Amino acid sequence: MREMTYLEAIRTALWEEMERDSNVFVLGEDIARLGGAFGVTAGFRDRFGDDRVVDTPIAETAIVGAAVGAAALGKRPVAEMQFIDFISCGFDQVVNVAATFRYRSGGQVSMPIVVRGPSGGYVGGSLYHSQQFEAWFYHVPGLKIALPATAEDAYGLMKAAVRDNNPVLFYEHKFLYRRIKGNIPSPETDFIVPLGEASIPRKGDDLTIVTYGAMVHFALDAAKALEQENISVEVIDLRTIKPLDMKTVLESVRKTNRVMVLHEAPKTGGVGGDIAARIAEEAFMDLDAPIARVAARDSFVPFAEPLEKYVLPSVDEIIETARRLHKF
Amino acid sequence: MSAKLKNRAETEEDQQAAPSYRDQLTKDDLLEMYRRMWLARLFDETLYDLKKKGRLRRGNVYGSRGQEAILVGTTYPLRAHDFVSPIHRDMPAFHFKGMPLEQVMAQVWGKATAPTRGKDSWSHMGDISLGLIHSTSMLGSTVPVACGAAWALKLDGKGDSVVLTYNGEGATATGAFHEGANFAGVHKLPLILVIENNQYAYSTPLELNVPTGRVADRAIGYGMPGIVVDGNDVLAVYDETYHAFERARRGDGPTLIECVTYRVQGHADHDETRARQYRPVEEIEEWEAKDPLPRFRNYLLGTGNFSEAELPEPPPEVVRQIHDAVEIAINSPDPEPATAMEDIYDESAGVSR
Ligand SMILES: Cc1ncc(C[n+]2csc(CCOP(=O)(O)OP(=O)(O)O)c2C)c(N)n1
Ligand SMILES: [Mg+2]
Repeated sequence: MREMTYLEAIRTALWEEMERDSNVFVLGEDIARLGGAFGVTAGFRDRFGDDRVVDTPIAETAIVGAAVGAAALGKRPVAEMQFIDFISCGFDQVVNVAATFRYRSGGQVSMPIVVRGPSGGYVGGSLYHSQQFEAWFYHVPGLKIALPATAEDAYGLMKAAVRDNNPVLFYEHKFLYRRIKGNIPSPETDFIVPLGEASIPRKGDDLTIVTYGAMVHFALDAAKALEQENISVEVIDLRTIKPLDMKTVLESVRKTNRVMVLHEAPKTGGVGGDIAARIAEEAFMDLDAPIARVAARDSFVPFAEPLEKYVLPSVDEIIETARRLHKF
Repeated sequence: MSAKLKNRAETEEDQQAAPSYRDQLTKDDLLEMYRRMWLARLFDETLYDLKKKGRLRRGNVYGSRGQEAILVGTTYPLRAHDFVSPIHRDMPAFHFKGMPLEQVMAQVWGKATAPTRGKDSWSHMGDISLGLIHSTSMLGSTVPVACGAAWALKLDGKGDSVVLTYNGEGATATGAFHEGANFAGVHKLPLILVIENNQYAYSTPLELNVPTGRVADRAIGYGMPGIVVDGNDVLAVYDETYHAFERARRGDGPTLIECVTYRVQGHADHDETRARQYRPVEEIEEWEAKDPLPRFRNYLLGTGNFSEAELPEPPPEVVRQIHDAVEIAINSPDPEPATAMEDIYDESAGVSR
């Protein structure tokens, strides 16, 4: 076991994957000389050299596109977006080129790319350094989407993402980078976290919170507070939203009969709407209360502290919603 | 004085060096330019300092130290009806184009009195009524927008107005920059592309964003003149910008002006330590010696028209101006939380007929 931060866990996973497979390489802005804006690839250039640790021009279309081309010829590129927000500048390559490649090649071509980067709010990053827009890509067939909440999962999911033969969007949460630590298994155990398997970081009986990413910690904080009120909360960490582990969600809902879906992204068009609909389709008769959604307000993530706080979900809001569900 | 590299896209007329427009500048003009250079310098120093002291707690400070000659030289020819779209390293340009300094500071502190009312940070602001076009973080994205602004001016018959954008040399590698520049070239739009070539994009050296090492080389493909100018020489920058304005106003289309300079500080205030590791310290020191402020001052003294006393370092009224603007900003109200939901849509009726 090795204690490391969420950020170090991602770095270690990438490092070990590059040691394991010479087809794995990383590319992005400032990732070689600087080691990345947040230091995720610090030291990589010295170990793996300029051909496998590539400082690119400021050109997200070319970064994702180059990853696609290399993957088509058998490489396993990991592309960094300096902030995940900038993936919007490479949108076409993600949704039209990478996501469709296998389909339009009649199954000839695999597309093992990872596009990763820091995402999310709560750091005063303002509109373009705070976004959590997994929903844009949730809509697109052919993509997988991982949003780790813990250091262990960040490590295990990154390994799974690198080894997967499909394009994986990997949302790291910058609020968690240095705030949380975990115990990472030693490399010999070959520990991975498969894409598409939720975890249950807290067991409970009265209601279920289905969430992912940084919101897992908010849900756990709320669950702890609700314990004082004798409300027993089960927290499900989806870990990946695509594939989506509905089996774990439905089992929990059938047990607690009350469910809240929670995410950091705005409510309208958010992934929570789809999850709620699936629960309604599959487990309507098991519900004792309407499905609740807690999400960001339908705005942008603003800069000033009072504004950012107003827009993004809070632990208090989760607690209040849980009380309402419980009482229903 | 301006080191120039010309390309084949230029007309005969452009083959000559830009005329010395500086000769038309009065003593008052030169003193104002000197004052502005200091304003840019102190803007930077003050925010770095307040960030360190914890009086500015949110957001990054992207400094323009060493690049003041570009900010002053490119904005001085601007008139009220011209437009400019500053980005992260151009904060003083907002003030030079007419935004009150306390408003610029209010934006830095995310206050209700800021142009964005605390919604967005740093240079992501504007004021169309002042000719300041808003930007986002997405590098290169102001250039297509500037094309549209230029088009609107054309539709309105305002052939005399010009749009000026700033981009770092790194941003010229983006698709948005290429698309916008090409669009401007195709349609001969009245656009000036000022490139602040400060040798680095964060940690990435010039040649990893610009394969020829000369941003101006891109211009030939866009069908516009590509000028290279010493970006630490305020009057050289002024001459070239003025020249580009004249071209644009004549209907001869856009110009790319590559201002060669150096980012003597880190990428932002958080990068000061690493910025002395990913590049040679000697290189930084070499450029610190080329500081555009003393250079301009020595030039002015050399003309014989200025006394030492007329060129204080820094001018005390500028120190006071910055200080007052900061205090006003800090003491301004924070935005009300619920205003986060305002201005997502325009709730007015729109056009009915
Ligand atoms: C499309 C896009 N990709 C990445 C970034 C992150 N980023 C912000 S500033 C910067 C470097 C910019 O370098 P340059 O254009 O040379 O301007 P300078 O900061 O040197 O003035 C990068 C990569 C961004 N803002 N936009
Ligand atoms: Mg630069």
